[in-house]
Amino acid sequence: MTPNSPSTPSRRRFLGSSVVVAAAVGGGMPLLAACGGGSGGSKSEGTTTGKKLKDILPAFVPSEAVTPDIPAKNGSAAGFTTALPAGQLAVSVPRKLGQGSELSIMAPLWGTSPGQGNPYWTAMDEAVGVSVKWQNQDGNTYGQKLGAVLASSSVPDAVVVPGWELGGKIPSAIANKFADLGPYLSGDKVKDYPNLAAVPTGAWQRAVFAGKLRGLPMPAESTPNITPFYRADVFEEKGYEVPTTTREFYDLCKEINAPKSKVWACGDMTWSAYVFFGVLPEKPYYWKLVDGKLVNRYETPEYLEALEWSRSLYSAGFVHPDAKAEQGDLGTTFAAGNALMYNADISDWYGKTAVQRLDNPDFRMGAMDFFAHDGGAPVIYEASPSNIWCFVSKKADKKTVEDVLALANYTAAPYGTKEQRLKAYGLEGTHHTLKDGVLAKTEQGNNQVFATYEYIATSAPFRAYPDHPDVAKGVIEWQQRQGAHLKKPLFFGMQIQEPTRFTELNAQFEDLEKDIVRGRRKVGDMQQQVSDWKTKGGDKLRDWYKKLLDETGESAS
Amino acid sequence: MSLSTQDRRARDTPKPPVTTRAAGDRPVAKLPLRYRLRRDRTLILMTLPAVALLLVFAYVPLAGNVVAFQDYDPYIADNAFEAISQSPWVGFEWFQQMVNDRLFWSALRNTLVIFLLQLTLFFPVPVLLALFINSFVRPRVRAVAQAILYLPHFFSWVLVVTVFQQMFGGAGLIAQTLREHGHEGFDLMTDPGLFKFLITFEMIWKDAGWGVIVFLAALASVSPDLYEASAMDGANRWRRMWHITLPALRPVVALLLVLQVGNALTVGFEQILLQRTAVGPGASEVLDTYVWNVGITNGGFSYAAAVGIVKGIFGLLLVLGANKIAHLMGEQGVYKK
Repeated sequence: MTPNSPSTPSRRRFLGSSVVVAAAVGGGMPLLAACGGGSGGSKSEGTTTGKKLKDILPAFVPSEAVTPDIPAKNGSAAGFTTALPAGQLAVSVPRKLGQGSELSIMAPLWGTSPGQGNPYWTAMDEAVGVSVKWQNQDGNTYGQKLGAVLASSSVPDAVVVPGWELGGKIPSAIANKFADLGPYLSGDKVKDYPNLAAVPTGAWQRAVFAGKLRGLPMPAESTPNITPFYRADVFEEKGYEVPTTTREFYDLCKEINAPKSKVWACGDMTWSAYVFFGVLPEKPYYWKLVDGKLVNRYETPEYLEALEWSRSLYSAGFVHPDAKAEQGDLGTTFAAGNALMYNADISDWYGKTAVQRLDNPDFRMGAMDFFAHDGGAPVIYEASPSNIWCFVSKKADKKTVEDVLALANYTAAPYGTKEQRLKAYGLEGTHHTLKDGVLAKTEQGNNQVFATYEYIATSAPFRAYPDHPDVAKGVIEWQQRQGAHLKKPLFFGMQIQEPTRFTELNAQFEDLEKDIVRGRRKVGDMQQQVSDWKTKGGDKLRDWYKKLLDETGESAS
Repeated sequence: MSLSTQDRRARDTPKPPVTTRAAGDRPVAKLPLRYRLRRDRTLILMTLPAVALLLVFAYVPLAGNVVAFQDYDPYIADNAFEAISQSPWVGFEWFQQMVNDRLFWSALRNTLVIFLLQLTLFFPVPVLLALFINSFVRPRVRAVAQAILYLPHFFSWVLVVTVFQQMFGGAGLIAQTLREHGHEGFDLMTDPGLFKFLITFEMIWKDAGWGVIVFLAALASVSPDLYEASAMDGANRWRRMWHITLPALRPVVALLLVLQVGNALTVGFEQILLQRTAVGPGASEVLDTYVWNVGITNGGFSYAAAVGIVKGIFGLLLVLGANKIAHLMGEQGVYKK
């Protein structure tokens, strides 16, 4: 995941460190406008817009269950700093919707599966009225499993597909193997599932694959998920100033760097560099119009400048060697004080703080505001309204589909409801305790309550950290400050599938980016790669997108 | 109807046709098939499960190689057979693409370089270790020494790479100690030029001790009488090793060498994949990781299958070639006609 966009396969690590809590209420209001029709080609390529799209999207009925402590603004999540006692929680699913089906569900898991029959899953099954047989796969290698499972003849009843695994022929698999949920959800039909009806329309729009509503979305904030973190406690103690230009960043690194005492300035900062230099997001939002002509991210000078700057941090020896070797979790290195800055998914803010404060109550981390490399306001491209979806097998019968939806309706309950409490914290007394307003997971909770139900469907995005209210406040305020600089990329909000003949086209860039910043290849090699890219299909891809642009307009809204 | 005991015994121990037996000949080849089947049926029955496994998991999937001649999309149908029947044929297009693919050649070059390095640096280590243990280590110490040598074999590659990172990485123990004493730190783990040596080094640490077992077994089969007799004839340690120990190891070394050559294009997958980012694909991409990235990660099943076929054919030729050479050198090799 680069800051602004869905990510390419090997970037999946970053989600690993995050318990991806839902996102994006503010930016996610209905994004519909009449544009052209869908684009031609095979049935899984192109996008869906206009009336055709309007007809299949579910209606939007906002949830009134709870008022957040910090309301969403500028595309941020809503923030919650308090936890209600169980007795005062709202109820969003008054009647059990499940009809008792046995559902096999394949989903990624970053952690160790708690195993069938554990009290958390059993309680969820009972509450929803289904019996889920989880097929959890390691999130770091999920894409490889996914490709094989979808190629087999026994596809599970429901399958979670993250946006960064949409490479290769996976879009073809989605079009061929998964059911159209339109008959159950389009228009007012969604009102049978009130929590799903409260999912922002933009998130549903990204769940439209090959002309049909196939996915159940996990809505996301409009602000970037990748966040440049720094050790606020150490910065304060040593009197370091948070940088506001790339020059200042570099100078600060020089000041911090002390390998002799095992302190390096930072981890790999390439993803932040993309925002500092205003680089376009990744596929399919990697185009901009310059004098009526589409220019790709790879062709922009900003892209090279960002790589060059990131490279300068490496060559000066500011980057922690483990980051250079990509071994281990840099977040741990950061928490241990061996690197004072790094970038990661914003949920690391809470994740690292919660763990560190057990031993060190004074641990504090902060997120620096994005800046333009030469100072001033940055260009931050708006993130996609949803980027993880759950699909239902085409072979599933009506009852199975309805039971998956019943489950999704339950998991999409907003914060402050009985359903969300069970989903996110498990059973009171067993998985969590609530004392004096402090909601804390027990050891059993930490071992069993994993974010695997999150991927079935979630509510409009929120961040609730009642145990560390300062983190909740920090996250939301950071998002709202960044949100003021948001810019929509071309084709924003559309789910676009490129024709399969182009699937290999971008495959080499990620390796080359890594080679360049680590000093193994020259920046000039990228120019060579880009000219190869053009002749091998990049120019044809440009024509394909130009046609799409003429048909659909600049963005879904 | 049951056979009488005598009948059964007659059937169980048939007399070979005397006429086909000539001294110095290979009698087995001349016996009729029917007779041999009868004679060896117990053995054949015992191998059946293994043969079945081999058929199901090695030979039947070979048929899947047809996708190398197709533009294969596994997702267009419900199962692989239908998907294959519905995917369009493209002839040798993928093989053509492979020949023109810079990355393929780079992967092949890396593979061969790493193979040759492993052959010269890794292969002799277990032999030397076995000789050393056999000749110099006292029996009581030997068990302990062997256990310590075997141990790393049971570590996963993830662990091995982590241990190396902690020792030889830029923030590792050695670099840090150097820094504390006023020297420059160093980073063995991210140097593309040293990568091939690094992985060979890792391999030696992990697997050399394990490789010793085979050679020690070969040494154990040497009769002590030979050593005693030669010692009595006045042979010193060195001459005993040269004339008794080494000749005893020769067939095993030849066999393993042939097998190793057959695996020339398989130089370690997990180990290399784990360290890919640290040194970049330029130094670390080998055929197996290349197939993985193209086929599994990027979904280019057909192209990956084409590369896999070429790799398989090349490996087969290498085994046949190496086996031939072993025969010429008077060794048994892997098999004999």
